[in-house]
Amino acid sequence: MSQIELYHYLALGAILFAIGIVGFLSRRNLIMMFLSTEIMFQGVAINLIAFSLFHMNPSGQSFVIFVLTIAAAEASLALGLVVMLFRRRETLNVDEWSEMQG
Amino acid sequence: MDFALLAATALGAVALYLMLPREKAPLVKLGGLLGVMSLAGLLLYLVRTVAASGATGAGPSPYFYAFAVIMIASAVGVVAQPKPVYAALYFVLLTLAGAGIFVLLLAEFMAVVLIIIYGGAILVTYVFVIMLASQASSGGVPGAENKAAVYDRRASEPFVAVLVSFVLLGVVLQVLYPVDGASIAKSQATVRPDSWMSASLGVAIPEGVTPATMPATQPTNIQMLGTSLYGQYALSLELAGVLLTIALIGAVVIARKNVSVDAPVGTGKLPSE
Repeated sequence: MSQIELYHYLALGAILFAIGIVGFLSRRNLIMMFLSTEIMFQGVAINLIAFSLFHMNPSGQSFVIFVLTIAAAEASLALGLVVMLFRRRETLNVDEWSEMQG
Repeated sequence: MDFALLAATALGAVALYLMLPREKAPLVKLGGLLGVMSLAGLLLYLVRTVAASGATGAGPSPYFYAFAVIMIASAVGVVAQPKPVYAALYFVLLTLAGAGIFVLLLAEFMAVVLIIIYGGAILVTYVFVIMLASQASSGGVPGAENKAAVYDRRASEPFVAVLVSFVLLGVVLQVLYPVDGASIAKSQATVRPDSWMSASLGVAIPEGVTPATMPATQPTNIQMLGTSLYGQYALSLELAGVLLTIALIGAVVIARKNVSVDAPVGTGKLPSE
């Protein structure tokens, strides 16, 4: 694996991360916002695995396993919260909850 | 400054802005056209950098470009699709292409795990919640079930969101690719993929050994990963298990309906009895 090939994979990860940010900032549906964070996770995972191959170090893949674990925990908790919020107001619109601020 | 790369990034930003859902009809076709142009420009740029670096066989395999295009297109599909169910299906496509990328990076185990955990478990949870939440959203209005909810048909602050993320992306890409690829060529360092990860575990591979002719004593990718996970990161792995358990309990506690403590526990009879 050459350095230029590594850069290609890093660029792909950055593009996915950017698209995920757009989704998180612009969608108003709670579920779609969380789905956008999963896109960002994918971009980060590609970065980690590309570095793992380039530096010949299995730690990158181990980190991706932990990232997947966190993503699974986050998805279960976030979706539980979404279900609870949906029961209260019968809507998934984030703007409905705008008074929930510190 | 590399203006070709900058132009491709800006074109992609305009394309994504046009494709985001909005009150009037979104310019999906125009946005898609611009997006294809931007993606083609980016691919041309990538191929040109490989050629400019001068090394033969330095670039990624053609499959990389195919999977990258599928990934980017389906990520845009997730973000721009007003209906959450279709967005979830686009995300499945994104996951499958991501698994292809992982295989190209010699991480077969991670590819399989990605499909099982993301494409299987997490996405099924998302689709369940989407179904649960959107059946009531239509509110019984005739014809409403074919249309996405109001808040899904209008993006909030699409301009600011696209500006923020693509400024970030532009800076990252500018840093990644120095002008004309010549400086990359100078710092060219090639790694033999078949000797991958062996250095970190102190296993030497003799010259001329390819994966096909590799002796059985050479640890495979999964063995390396297992050694790393259960050796170096054993404690972290245990903690990850604890975290998953806590998340499981938390999700059950959060999502269950409010039942009073004194509610009758169950008589052991079927409702018809």
